[in-house]
Amino acid sequence: MKVYVSGLYCGGNPQPGVGIIRSLRQGYPDAKLVGVEYTNRVSGIHWRDLDDLWIQRPWDELELGLYAQRVGEVLDGGALWISGSDLEAMWLASVFPDGHPNLLAPPAAALKRIAKPAVEAHRGLPVDIPPFVSSDLSDWELHAFCRAHDWRVWLKGPYYDAARVPGWDSFVAARAALTKVWSTETLFLQAHVSGYEESVMLAAYRGELLGCVAMRKRDVTAEGKTWAGDVGPVDPEFETPLRRIVKALNWTGGGELEMVRDVAGRLWLLEMNPRFPAWVHGATIAGHNLPALLVQGATGIRARPAEAEAAEFTRVVLEVPVRSEYPLPALPEPFAGAVGHSMKHPSGLTSLAERLHKRDGEPIGLAEGEPDEAADGRPGVPETYLDDIGAMALASVETPQFLFFEKTAEGLFRRAAERARRLSGNAVRVASGYSIKTNPDERLIRLALDNGFYAECISLAEAAKAIEVGFRADQVILNGPGKWWPRGMMPKERMHAVFCDSVADLDRCVAAIAAGEMSAKHVGVRIRTPNVTSRFGIPLDSPETFGKLIDAVGRLPRDAAFGIHFHMASSNIGVALWWHLFESMLKWCRSIEALSGRRIELLDMGGGWFPDDWHAGDDGRFERAVETVRALLPGVRQIVSEPGKAMAQPSMALAMRILEIQEHEEDHVEAVVDGSIAELPMYAFQPHRILRQCRETGALQPVGRGKTHLMGRLCMEHDIVASNVSLPEGTRAGDMLIFCDAGGYDRSMSYVFGRG
Amino acid sequence: MYLAEAEARIDVRPESLGRSPLPGDRWREFPPSALSHHGEACCEIARHWVIAMDFAQLNGAEPTSGPRWLRQKYKWGPSPWPMHWCEAVKRKTIDCGAHAALALEAFRARGLTAFPAQLVQRYSEAATEQWRGKWDRENVSCHWLDGEHIYHEATALLVGEDEVRIWDSSAGSWVCPRQDGGYGSLAAVRICTEGRDGDGDGLRWGERRLKPGEWVRI
Repeated sequence: MKVYVSGLYCGGNPQPGVGIIRSLRQGYPDAKLVGVEYTNRVSGIHWRDLDDLWIQRPWDELELGLYAQRVGEVLDGGALWISGSDLEAMWLASVFPDGHPNLLAPPAAALKRIAKPAVEAHRGLPVDIPPFVSSDLSDWELHAFCRAHDWRVWLKGPYYDAARVPGWDSFVAARAALTKVWSTETLFLQAHVSGYEESVMLAAYRGELLGCVAMRKRDVTAEGKTWAGDVGPVDPEFETPLRRIVKALNWTGGGELEMVRDVAGRLWLLEMNPRFPAWVHGATIAGHNLPALLVQGATGIRARPAEAEAAEFTRVVLEVPVRSEYPLPALPEPFAGAVGHSMKHPSGLTSLAERLHKRDGEPIGLAEGEPDEAADGRPGVPETYLDDIGAMALASVETPQFLFFEKTAEGLFRRAAERARRLSGNAVRVASGYSIKTNPDERLIRLALDNGFYAECISLAEAAKAIEVGFRADQVILNGPGKWWPRGMMPKERMHAVFCDSVADLDRCVAAIAAGEMSAKHVGVRIRTPNVTSRFGIPLDSPETFGKLIDAVGRLPRDAAFGIHFHMASSNIGVALWWHLFESMLKWCRSIEALSGRRIELLDMGGGWFPDDWHAGDDGRFERAVETVRALLPGVRQIVSEPGKAMAQPSMALAMRILEIQEHEEDHVEAVVDGSIAELPMYAFQPHRILRQCRETGALQPVGRGKTHLMGRLCMEHDIVASNVSLPEGTRAGDMLIFCDAGGYDRSMSYVFGRG
Repeated sequence: MYLAEAEARIDVRPESLGRSPLPGDRWREFPPSALSHHGEACCEIARHWVIAMDFAQLNGAEPTSGPRWLRQKYKWGPSPWPMHWCEAVKRKTIDCGAHAALALEAFRARGLTAFPAQLVQRYSEAATEQWRGKWDRENVSCHWLDGEHIYHEATALLVGEDEVRIWDSSAGSWVCPRQDGGYGSLAAVRICTEGRDGDGDGLRWGERRLKPGEWVRI
C-alpha cells in the first residue's frame, strides 16, 4: 500500500499532513507513506515516518496541466492520495470533478456546497451560522453591520486568514491587506461568537460516513489554534444528520466542522474544511484513528485497531533531524532596513488561490441565490439628500465647501421631536437634547430650539451661543469638565440641569450654587462607564470611588432635583452593547438612589448615535427603554435623550472638485481633489457616501468601490480622503464630488490648514 | 458562621478512623463560606457595587457567563476570616471562600439560581506544602489543606431543569466534569442547596448526578 499525503506545514498554524502520516503509520505499519509538498521550506518533510517525499515546485511555478497528469498517473498506479490542504483539495477536485477511486478527497460539487461562510450543506445539523455579509456591500452597509454586531466582527479571506476589526480604520486596513494577499476583493465580514471552540472530524468514502469524533479545545495558541484538546464521541443528535449530509455530498476523504459553543450551549458553525484537521493524531491517541479508517474504507484492507492512550492530548515542540537529501534552504535576507524575513506562504498557496478563482470564480459561499447582484459597493443615498442638492446652484459653489441639507435637517429634527412626544407619558416626559459641539451651526441650533430640544452644552461659550440663538437658560443643560470656561459667562438665570463631571467639580458646583453664582432646576452627576474606557464622569470602578460618589451625592443641594447623566458613543461600541450599557447604568442608578437616599428625577443619556441606528431604529427599543426606566427608577420624571451626531451628521455634505487624475498601472488611479482631511477629519472613522456630479447632465452618480484613491490637496502623506473608490466613467478634472454625511464632527472639528 | 466555629466542625484526626471513605471526610461538616454584613452603609455599598459591576461586566453576554472579572480584580490567596463585605471588596487578594461568595451573589443578582459548591481536589504534597507556607506567613488558617488533598469552594449554577455547572471563581473557569483523576482534579463535591432537595436523581453535572447536600466522590 502506498499513500501520498500533502499538507506537511508544521508552524504555528499547522496543516494535518504529519498527523495523518503518524496515524497511518500506526494503522498500517508497513504502508509506504509519501509526503507531498510544494516547498522544501516546510519542516514536516523531515518527519521520520515518511518513507519518501514528492517535492513539487511552488504553486506559482507549477505547470498545473503537467502536474495534474502526474497526479493522475500516481492514482492510476494504485496509490492513495490524502490531501492536507484546502486549496490543493480544491484544485484536485477541479482535475477530478467526479473523484477518482484512489483520491481520498471530496468531489467538486461537495466543495461548492461547503463554501464558507454560508456552508450551504450544514442544514439539518444542530448548528447556526454566525451572521455575515459579503464585503461586496457598500462601505455604508459594512459599517452598519459592524455597529450592529458591536464591532466584534472578523474580516475573513476566502480560504484562510481572518482579522479582528474593532474599528473602521482597522477594517479598511485589513481589507486592503487581505485583498492584496488573496488577489480578491470578495471577502466577508462575520460576527464573532464568544464561547468555547470545538470540532467534529469525520472520515467518509463515497458518501458513507466511516467515523467521526468530537474534540474540544483545551488550550490554544496566540492565533487561537488548537494546542491541546479532549476527545470524545459525537452526540447522536449531531451524528445522524451528519451521516445524511455526507451521503448527500457523496463525500470522500477527511473533513472537519469547526464550531463555537456559546455560553448558552448553542453551537455555531464557522466552517467545514475538506480535509482532516491538524489535531487528527490527537484523536488517534484517544483511540479514533480516522485516517486509517478512511484507508480501510477505500481499500478494504484492515487497519491495526487504534488503542486509546488517553482521552486528552497536547502538543509539544520537537526538534527533528533534517533529511540530508533536503538540506535547509537559505533564509531570505530581510528587505533592506526592514524587520523580519517576509517569507509567508513559501509554497505559493496565494498564487494557487489566484489561479483558482480566476478560473472558477470567487470561492465564497454566501447563501442560496448567490451572488448578490445588487451588491456593487455603491451606497444608496437618501432621497432628501438628492432633493437638497438639487435645490442648490452647484456650479457656482466655491470648493471645498460644506453644503447644508435644509430639508434633510428639518426632517431629522421633526422626527426626533415626534418620537419624543410619542414616548412621553403622564409619568415620564421624554425630550431630546442637541449636543452643540457636534455642529454649532446656527441653523441646526435653531432647528433644535424649534423642535423642543434642550441645548446640551459643554462650555459656557456653547451655552452663550445657544442663548444667543434663542434658547432660554432653563432650556440649557450644562455638562462636562469644561463647564467653567470661559470665566464670567455663567448664565444668571436658572438652567435646566447641571451635571458634575467629578467629585471636585461637584464640590465646586455646590459652592457656586450656595454662593448664588449658579442655578439649575436639576443638579446631578455624570457617571463613568465602568467597563468601557472613558475619561468622563465620576468613576465607578472600585468600591472606594463608588463610596465617594455616594458621599458626594449627599452633598448636593436639596432644593434642586437630582439627575444622572451618562454618555457613550454607540457608533464606537455598537448598538447592542450600548443598550446593555444603558441597562447597566440604570442598575447603577438604582444603587445610587438606594444608598444615597436621593431620588433620581432626571435621566440624561447619550449619545454618539450613528444616524441610521437612531432614526431607523424604531423597533420598539426606545419604548422598552422608557418602560425599563419607569420600572427601575420610578422617581424619574424626565428623560433627556441626546442623539449626538445622529442629528448633525446627515445635515451637511462637503463639496470638492477634482484637480487632477493620475492613471497608474493595473487600473490604479490617484485623483487629487481640492478638499482634504482638514475639512473631513472623520475620514478614517466612518464611511462617507460620495456622489459625483456629471458635468454635462448635472446628474448625481454614487461612487462605488474600485482602485482609485482620492488624495487631498495638502502636502501631507496621510491626506487621503477616500481609498478604493471607483470614479464613474468620464470623470474629469474639474468635476465635483460631494462627500455626504459630513455634518457632524467633520464639520465641527474641521480646521484651517494649507490655505496660506 | 465564623471560621472558629466552622473549624470546630473539621475532623482533625480523620486518620484515626482508618482509611477515609471519602476524600472530603475531613471537611464533611464544614459549611460553605459566607461574607458577614456590618448592617451598615459600608457593607451595603460594597454589596451594591459588586452587583452593579457584575452586570456592567457582562457586556451584553449571556447571563450564565461566568463572572470572570472577579478573578481579574481579586487575586486568589490567603485572606483572614471572618470577612465582611466591606473588607472583601477592598482586598487585593481573597481566598476561594470569598471568591465563591462573591460569585454566588453575582449569579443570584442576575436572577439565576446558584448554590454554594464545596470541592475536594487532588494536588500534591509539594503543592500543599507551598500553600501551607504561604498561608502561615499571612497567619491565616490552613484548615483547607490535608496531605495531597485540598478543600476548595466554588459556585454551582443551575442551567436547566436539573443541570448544574460549577464555576470556580478563584480560577476563573468552569470545573470540567469529565476529568476524574490526576493533579488538580476533583476528588469529591457537594452542592449546598439550602433546603432544595432536587428530585430523586439529584442534580446533573456532566454525566454525573449529584445528590444535593451530600458529598459525592468523583
